[in-house]
Amino acid sequence: MNVTCGDRDSIFEDGTTAQWAALEAHAANCVACAEEVRAWKALSVAAAELRDYSPSPALWSRIETALAANAVPGHEPSLRDRISVWLGFSLSWQLAAVSAFAVLLLVSGGLIYRHQTLTPTQKQPVNSAQQDPLLKTKALDDVEKAETAYVQAIDKLATDAKPQFDKPETPLMANYREKLQVLDSAIDDLRAQAGQNPSNAHLRYQLLAMYQEKERTLQDVLEAKR
Amino acid sequence: MGTMGLALPWEHRIPPVPRDRERRLEPFRDPASQAGLDPAAEAAKAEDSALAAACQAGDLRAYEQLFAQQGTRMKNLARNLLGNPLDAEDAVQETFLKIQRSISGFRGQSSFVTWTFRILVNTCHDARRKRTRKKEVAHEDLAVGDAPPVEPRAPGSHPSLKMALERALTELTQHQRNVFLLYEVEGFKHSQIASMLEITEAASKNTLFQAKKNLREMLEPPRSINATSA
Repeated sequence: MNVTCGDRDSIFEDGTTAQWAALEAHAANCVACAEEVRAWKALSVAAAELRDYSPSPALWSRIETALAANAVPGHEPSLRDRISVWLGFSLSWQLAAVSAFAVLLLVSGGLIYRHQTLTPTQKQPVNSAQQDPLLKTKALDDVEKAETAYVQAIDKLATDAKPQFDKPETPLMANYREKLQVLDSAIDDLRAQAGQNPSNAHLRYQLLAMYQEKERTLQDVLEAKR
Repeated sequence: MGTMGLALPWEHRIPPVPRDRERRLEPFRDPASQAGLDPAAEAAKAEDSALAAACQAGDLRAYEQLFAQQGTRMKNLARNLLGNPLDAEDAVQETFLKIQRSISGFRGQSSFVTWTFRILVNTCHDARRKRTRKKEVAHEDLAVGDAPPVEPRAPGSHPSLKMALERALTELTQHQRNVFLLYEVEGFKHSQIASMLEITEAASKNTLFQAKKNLREMLEPPRSINATSA
């Protein structure tokens, strides 16, 4: 089989054993092809430098633990498993986890310290309730007592204003009556919601705003009467 | 004498290859592709099938056997694809977990080992994509994917053969790098590589040719230096 320099690349790409033998025979008398053939084979030899088949016994321990945990749904790893899994993580992940834990500790500590150093005036129920979306048990009792007293006072105002609403003499009075009906409806809804979720401070504030609006409206009605 | 010196110090120069040397180094025996050729290949294929069946049954000892047979090769390929041994170990572990999760879908179209390496290659690519997205430290990217062009240097100022080749590999396309590593380093056949990378055998051969051609151009020292050293 005769080959020429022009056949070289095709033999490099997909040459048969016979074609390779013919190319090497040709290279014996061709300096350019001899260099190319040697260089081509040298790359294969150099690739051996990228082989590092040293054993990794620790790697199998990691994999085994992960496979075992993955195989049994709901499997609770033992302390030994947890430690070996932890040690199996790369150093960068271990450092990241430790750093995150340290940050969490710092933030928690800061919050606790800040909470403990608050002055008594800063701990008034209304202020703390504004900052805390959930009311504590004692604060909830206080709010409910205050609300009951507030409702009784408003009811007293409503009793005074009742004659005005029964027979409204002016369109303004009719509007006041409609407004109060809307407010009562809103108050009923909010009370129902607050009953289902009594610790929700946001609902309590909405309810308070409605009571205040009702109080102002009743005062306006009584002022108009005079 | 004009020889390709791979742009390396003389002590790292690649020795001339004996003409009677086999082209392949430590060829990887694929049970599936050699089946029917000889009794040993048939036995290897049966062993491969048995290993797959044991893994499908959830036998952890089968996974251990797979690791004993292919673990170092898997880690080596992952290290060459990802650039460092820690990421390589993570990729191998993730590959085993993926095998466990998807073993029920293995139907034996290719050999179990070939299927395993396909998962490993994909896992390494996913890891590289994640790393790129996170824009981790620049030197990692330089080491693995975006290294500056490899400049031929004068003899005596070059890194080791391994480092030179690793740097040159980063200049190849992902596809060329995959095929070069699988064929030249890990010893897989083109038929197996084609199965792993879901390409044709001809495409695998052509990609290897292009990869070696590019590597040869990158690693060849300037003619003047070559002439001086000759």
